[in-house]
Amino acid sequence: MRRTVRHLVLCLAGLLPMAVVLLAAPPAGAQLRSVELYAPRPFGHVIGDTLALSADIVLEAPFRLDPASLPRPRSLDYWLELTDVRLTDGGTRDGAQRYTLELTYQTFYAPLEPKRLAIPAVPLTATDGARQVAITVPPWSFLMSPLREIVAIGEGTTMALRPDIAPRPVATTGTRYGLLAALAGVVAGLGLLAWQMGWWPFSRRRDRPFAHAAREVRAALASSAKPAASSTSPASAPGHRAALLALHRAFDATAGQGVFAEDLPDFFRAHPAFATTEAEVRRLFAASRRLFFGDDPIESAREFPPAELVALARRLRAGERGGA
Amino acid sequence: MRLARETDSILSDWRDRALRFEAEIGKVVLGQQRVIRLLTIATFARGHVLLEGDVGVGKTTLLRAMARAIGGAFERIEGTIDLMPADLVYHAHLGEDGKPRIDPGPLLRQGEALSVFFFNEINRARPQVHSLLLRLMAERSVSAFNREYRFPHVQVFADRNRVEREETFELPAAARDRFLMEVQVAMPAGEEARRRLVFDPRFHNVDALLTEVEPGVLDPQALETVARVIQLGVHASPALEAYVLALWEAVRAPHSHGVSVESVDMARFVQGGASPRGLSYLVRAARVRAWLEGRDMIVPEDLRAVFPEVMTHRIFVDPVYELRREKLVGELIAGIFARVPAP
Repeated sequence: MRRTVRHLVLCLAGLLPMAVVLLAAPPAGAQLRSVELYAPRPFGHVIGDTLALSADIVLEAPFRLDPASLPRPRSLDYWLELTDVRLTDGGTRDGAQRYTLELTYQTFYAPLEPKRLAIPAVPLTATDGARQVAITVPPWSFLMSPLREIVAIGEGTTMALRPDIAPRPVATTGTRYGLLAALAGVVAGLGLLAWQMGWWPFSRRRDRPFAHAAREVRAALASSAKPAASSTSPASAPGHRAALLALHRAFDATAGQGVFAEDLPDFFRAHPAFATTEAEVRRLFAASRRLFFGDDPIESAREFPPAELVALARRLRAGERGGA
Repeated sequence: MRLARETDSILSDWRDRALRFEAEIGKVVLGQQRVIRLLTIATFARGHVLLEGDVGVGKTTLLRAMARAIGGAFERIEGTIDLMPADLVYHAHLGEDGKPRIDPGPLLRQGEALSVFFFNEINRARPQVHSLLLRLMAERSVSAFNREYRFPHVQVFADRNRVEREETFELPAAARDRFLMEVQVAMPAGEEARRRLVFDPRFHNVDALLTEVEPGVLDPQALETVARVIQLGVHASPALEAYVLALWEAVRAPHSHGVSVESVDMARFVQGGASPRGLSYLVRAARVRAWLEGRDMIVPEDLRAVFPEVMTHRIFVDPVYELRREKLVGELIAGIFARVPAP
């Protein structure tokens, strides 16, 4: 008989880590149906442990928990701290209002030997608007154990700080690959852009002669602008000739042969991308003819001012990019 | 200043006549605009022309029409293998009194007024005839009856059949160099022109057809002066001079300018030629072309327009390539114009 009882007690003890079910006494006025407290194992806790308690509260329907009566996280004692309070409304079903109250405690008690401690009951208030009913989440007791022996056997060993846990390496492979991929993408993108725009190292790209020419025109006109400031006839500056030559070379390269003024109709038929600039290009060729073969730089510059060359070169470059 | 204006008006006046001249010939010769333009250029550059082409494409008709439109005296002779120089100069026959007589031959018959001398099938004549012709072209004079005959206005047109090679004598290089142009006469361009040439009875009788050409549109006596005014009135800029020299250089050494012709060893392709006389002819023809286009300056287009006709026969190629020379030299010239930058 004694054995049986003992066995039974052991069985119950085995169940305890799952839950301690404490049925409260029948509530006054039966507005409270039940309070069930679920707790962790009641032994083997050491200093610094957190204890998560959970209480299922079932009330008669019109009654609700008064939120003002919930405990606030605070120090309850010199060794016990309530760190978190969380109330979940389980809704009303079959005339019963259900709540789950989760209470998280942390114990800082430093026992010299296993010692039973108690977490006090938590008083709550339920109300249906007019009446108030006191509810109590029952207290819970548990055993705390010391972390170390009282008297150290080996000198200093127990008290020596254990080495820190080596920090776990953060997984960087993915990030590194991502970074590499992004860099590769940037380089490829820049390369594409440079290819499209005819920048270095594609500045001598054979199918972008006008990009090259636009740069040369700008450079030629800029270099001739300085000496021309003092010169009397800026139109005869060598820069003007150089700029025109650069454009002619670009036309030649685009057509794959020498392009003369008489070839322009064929040129525009073969390269419709430049059709928008046709009138200007004709004017350019006429001016260039006057400059190179008519030896009339003044008239030539009046027919096509060097300042317009840059703008035309840009438009040709744009046409080349759009139509190539 | 006054002189300059006078020159301008002479030039524009004669330009109208030149265009009318072209139009007159265009009435009877269809689909050969380019050839007509080249012959007009040659006329105003006072240069001799060698026509080459298939049989029956209208070479003779074209030349007869030109001779009629230029005006002045016209003589023609057919080249045969037994033709001797004396046959051109002298005409030996029996007089009415039964005695042998020697009169001036075809070349001398018209005296100094001779303006167009047409030598048909020139490659059938012997080298002796070629050398006479060489002198006529180069110096515009021949010796006969113990004196010198001068032909200040003569322009020689010759034609050559390029298909037949039997019983022919190739023209010596010196004689070919005297020709300003060697013009290839191809089939008439354009279907409409061909259709009309075949089906329109108007083109069937050449003699009747030629009467439609207005005679003497140009004045052969004045041509020499006009040609000189053109050469003085159309100027070449330093940039163009540099371009011509660059072209010349490229013809002499195409490989060093990066010009290449398919399946040809460029280092040995051009053996020589492109003489200074050839280049001066080129510029002369280019000036006339610029004037016909209404310009007072030569531009690269002018050079390109006359370059093949003026230069091809002056470029001597390696004998290995001689049989294909027309095609290869054509490609060479196209390559030179593609490669040599202008200006």
